[in-house]
Amino acid sequence: MPGPVSRLLAALAALVVAAVALPACKKSSGPIRIGIINSVTGPEAPIGELMTNGYLMAQDDLKKEGIDIAIVTEDDTGKPQVAMSGLEKLATRDNVAAIVGPYPSSSSNAAAKLAEKYKLPILIPAASKEEITRQNYQWVFRINAPTNLYSSVVIDLALASGQPKTIAIIAENTDFGTSAAATARLYAPKKGLTIVADEAYSKGSPDYRSMLSQVKAKNPDLVFLVSYVADAILLMRQSREIGLSPQAFLGGGAGFGTPQFAAEKDVSGFMLASTQWTDDSGWPGAKEWGVRYQARFNKEATYHAACAYEALRIMGETVAKAGGDREKTRAGLKGGAWDGIMGKVKFEDYDGYQNQNNHPMLVQQIVDGQFATVWPSQFAAKKAVYPHPGWK
Amino acid sequence: MIVFLQSLISGVLIGGVYALVGIGLTLVFGVMRVINFAQGDLLMVGMYLTYFLFKLGGVDPFVSVLIVLPVMFFFGAFLQRVFIERMLGALPQNQILLTIGLGLVLSNTAMMLFTSDYRILSTSYSSGSYKLLGLSVSQPLLVSFLITAAVTGALYWFLLRTETGQAVRATAQDREAAQLMGIDVRRTSMLAFGIGAALAGAAGALVSPTYYIFPQVGSAFTLKAFVVVVLGGMGSVVGATLGGVLIGVSESLAAAYLGSGVKELLVYVLFLVVLLVRPAGLLGKSRV
Repeated sequence: MPGPVSRLLAALAALVVAAVALPACKKSSGPIRIGIINSVTGPEAPIGELMTNGYLMAQDDLKKEGIDIAIVTEDDTGKPQVAMSGLEKLATRDNVAAIVGPYPSSSSNAAAKLAEKYKLPILIPAASKEEITRQNYQWVFRINAPTNLYSSVVIDLALASGQPKTIAIIAENTDFGTSAAATARLYAPKKGLTIVADEAYSKGSPDYRSMLSQVKAKNPDLVFLVSYVADAILLMRQSREIGLSPQAFLGGGAGFGTPQFAAEKDVSGFMLASTQWTDDSGWPGAKEWGVRYQARFNKEATYHAACAYEALRIMGETVAKAGGDREKTRAGLKGGAWDGIMGKVKFEDYDGYQNQNNHPMLVQQIVDGQFATVWPSQFAAKKAVYPHPGWK
Repeated sequence: MIVFLQSLISGVLIGGVYALVGIGLTLVFGVMRVINFAQGDLLMVGMYLTYFLFKLGGVDPFVSVLIVLPVMFFFGAFLQRVFIERMLGALPQNQILLTIGLGLVLSNTAMMLFTSDYRILSTSYSSGSYKLLGLSVSQPLLVSFLITAAVTGALYWFLLRTETGQAVRATAQDREAAQLMGIDVRRTSMLAFGIGAALAGAAGALVSPTYYIFPQVGSAFTLKAFVVVVLGGMGSVVGATLGGVLIGVSESLAAAYLGSGVKELLVYVLFLVVLLVRPAGLLGKSRV
């Protein structure tokens, strides 16, 4: 005998069934969906914004090619656990064909693991922690170069430009920072450099002066720094303040490659920073793309934007060819080859990596707020100013 | 030796800022027996005020202290009148919940208005320094330390020499007795909370040229202020000043000699040791 309670339960059950069935019905209507996980807010937001710009340009360019995709964005606020719940939503509720993102290494590593579980193709645009593509994942692809190149490419340049003997390593104690510092720790001694200081700092402190004075006391020839934007500015300001003046400041990508950092002309000058992309590298369409970017967003294009653009463009083309099928998309990424603003792109297995694009890193130098490619020589537009002329 | 002195100087200078936040907290506790967990968030409000005064009005962050102090004083007095006053007789845990809640409202409002992006305020002297015998002293930190010293000095003078200041101290000593002596304790409480908020705001203005600004910046400072106050002795203004400098210096020396990642650890170990030896804090009077 059905009382009011059991009737209520039946109604609830019907609701649950409807809610579960709904996403499946959605699937057939509208353009193919691609999920993007990005740091729209939070500490990584300044870089997230650059990536958003890249994604917007890619979406428009795909439209011009006749590929219409819908983008569903999830904000990871720079935190891995938020990136994971975002990916879960995209994989189940929004039923996307593939994912591009997230930005920070910690978020990307967490998201990659889940994407593998959901058998959902994910293309990492700019996160560099080596392990991300070293875990035998079948569904995880990465377009940018991993962290080991962040340190080796700038160290190579310093060795080619002068005779440094000693190096100090200063890195943020996050996934990205420790991973970049570890590669420098391995690479520097191989090249005959002595590590005289090795500091891991926790970000968000108002005062790095005592750490920097300790480094200054060791008088290193090179100082290799790994930080995101806010700390990059803080560290360089305080280095100038206490008069830490090595032959060269080497920056491991991230914060040191942003316009916000370059705009701090007092401290950003002559910084040598590794980067995934520059507009004067000679890669097909890079220059023209940089001009379009500048015209549209009224600021200089950076590697984050370029990586995001190329990642979404490649994913959009592949997904369209596969008709939105996840398995076919994976095969398309695995078998495809592209040549665009990031140079040649191919997802290969090498050196313990899987589905990793063997991308060459560049070094750019900031002089008077302007970036110029200075290394490796085949891509260089200018000669590096070395050594650092000292603080004014 | 250079590293030691350099770290000592940085530590004392940054400690001045901690002291300023701590004094506000200790004053409010002394007068009202309320621990204001929104102290760091008031500092955040001061930071944003300074940031926008600089960006929109071109007001130098150090000059803006003159604007931030009165604005935050009235904001603090308003908070006291509307929220804290009603809870003065309530259970301590309710008061704690109230101030934590106020802090959350402040930081989340800031997040809605300004997003959680980090903002950096760049002045011509943000990375400037004075050289002295091979040591370098940060220009912005030195100026902010001098302002901190001036503000603290003025506060001491106010508390010790003026009649209103004496009323504040009397209320802190014994609220009921003060009331019986004809002191308007409600007005005194408003005054104390206003001063507390003004000091937090001033600290926010003073650190903004050298630090970055985001809505959640307050929690780190609340925790630090709390440590500073407990270390110095709850309710003791001199103790908070001492505690602030002590925390600043030990952080700085720990970062230089033990590694930057360990400095927080050392601060809390020190904190625990002091509490073991002197449960009422360095200059606190035991109330049991």
